[in-house]
Amino acid sequence: MTARLIMKLQVVSAVPTTPDVLRVVFRHPLRPELPEWTPGAHVDLRLPDGKVRQYSLCGDPDDRAHYAMAIKREADGRGGSLWAHANLTEGGLAHVSSPRNNFPLADGTRHVFVAGGIGITPFVAMARALAAVGGDFILHFCARSAAEAPLLDELRIVCGDRLQLWFSGAGRRFEPALIGPPTPGTHLYACGPQRLVDAVQAAADAGGWAPDRVHIERFAATLDENYKPEPFDARIASTGEVLHVPADRSLLDVLRENGFPVASSCEIGTCGSCECGYWDGTVIHRDQVLPLGRRQDRMMPCVSRARVGVTLDL
Amino acid sequence: MLAPRMVEAFEHAAGAVARGVPGGATGWRGALLHIHIAPAASYEMEALAEAQCVVGRGIVGDRYFDGTGTYSPKPDTREVTLIEQEVLDALERNDPPLQGGPIRLAPADHRRNLTVRGVPLNHLVGRRFRVGTVILRGGRLNFPCKYLEELLGLPVYLPLYNRSGLNCGIEVGGTIRPGDAIELLDTP
Repeated sequence: MTARLIMKLQVVSAVPTTPDVLRVVFRHPLRPELPEWTPGAHVDLRLPDGKVRQYSLCGDPDDRAHYAMAIKREADGRGGSLWAHANLTEGGLAHVSSPRNNFPLADGTRHVFVAGGIGITPFVAMARALAAVGGDFILHFCARSAAEAPLLDELRIVCGDRLQLWFSGAGRRFEPALIGPPTPGTHLYACGPQRLVDAVQAAADAGGWAPDRVHIERFAATLDENYKPEPFDARIASTGEVLHVPADRSLLDVLRENGFPVASSCEIGTCGSCECGYWDGTVIHRDQVLPLGRRQDRMMPCVSRARVGVTLDL
Repeated sequence: MLAPRMVEAFEHAAGAVARGVPGGATGWRGALLHIHIAPAASYEMEALAEAQCVVGRGIVGDRYFDGTGTYSPKPDTREVTLIEQEVLDALERNDPPLQGGPIRLAPADHRRNLTVRGVPLNHLVGRRFRVGTVILRGGRLNFPCKYLEELLGLPVYLPLYNRSGLNCGIEVGGTIRPGDAIELLDTP
């Protein structure tokens, strides 16, 4: 678990990049520099009602004074974007966390990005970083039309002919089979609507891509509605204390109630804030963020549970 | 929201013992330099030009007053926390040299409520002292936490060891302001 500072930032500008997407730039009213970040990082936007929403940073990491993010108005979303569109106007204030990167650029020689709609945001900074050092990449950008493609002008400048546009309104749809088989040193990334990232993942599986070469950013929780939580016991390794987690409570809640200060943010298994180690037990991983290789001894107590019992490294 | 669980300063295990042991510097007179509060765990601290201290609760608007602090679920003495400006000065001159180099820990960053000068905080466990018209009771020494290191991205844990400040309870509430005089009330 990593704690992240939450800062009160001021909106420098809020300009529509499409009819539905606002590009918002923040600065700190008191500090000249904001915490550092790397391409692919996101911040948490804390809403006045306590909800937390994650947005990728799409500006330039070398500009230490500003954070830029693109926020889509989702009329049927969970309310965060509507608040943002109504309240993030020039001079306005919002609580924004230090950045965290769950979707970094991999150490590869070629990078294939597939973005759908607002899913373009993490790739803007990645493409800019690669272009600056002459890195090899291609960015497939799927949207309905140019008018509905967020940050398009910026991307054209950053990517040049490495930008492949797929506008469904013009009858040009991205075909995931185009991804084909992996080549040495190549990494594949996808961010966007569930349907698109699922199709990219399926194409990668069919093409024989190794799991550690495929990077999928998911912002929406995709918890199985049919999953039925069962009660279990969590043993604290350092003290031997046993905490009972009822079916209707999360492990995170029970830990907190018993005085364990576990950091958290999204509480839907996508941000990685509450990560915790465990020693034994059968953990039912229900998060979207822990890579497969770390699931044998790490878990996200906000959504993940255990069969019968688990010993936590606390 | 969790209800704050405060332990009265002189009922704290440390404060209760120290109360019966004589000693400590006397005759000093210090000053309150800065007041900072944070609305909840992890939120950046904000400076106040004046603050209301409430007996049994803390500083109005602070996370430990509201029970939204990182450690709020743990019963403890933390109505008001203090740290010495002299400690911040020592970190800035890398003294002792326990880390890579000087650490600038600004008053808004150390996450204690009151930054004071000329006050021997390590001598005040089990003692009563005044800040302006407010009377505080030293409950226990503050202890650095790894959480602060993570939050700041600075290696402050070791350098703050044994000089991390003082956790206090409030005996008499009221308004405090930067510039207020700080004086020992108990004369053992």
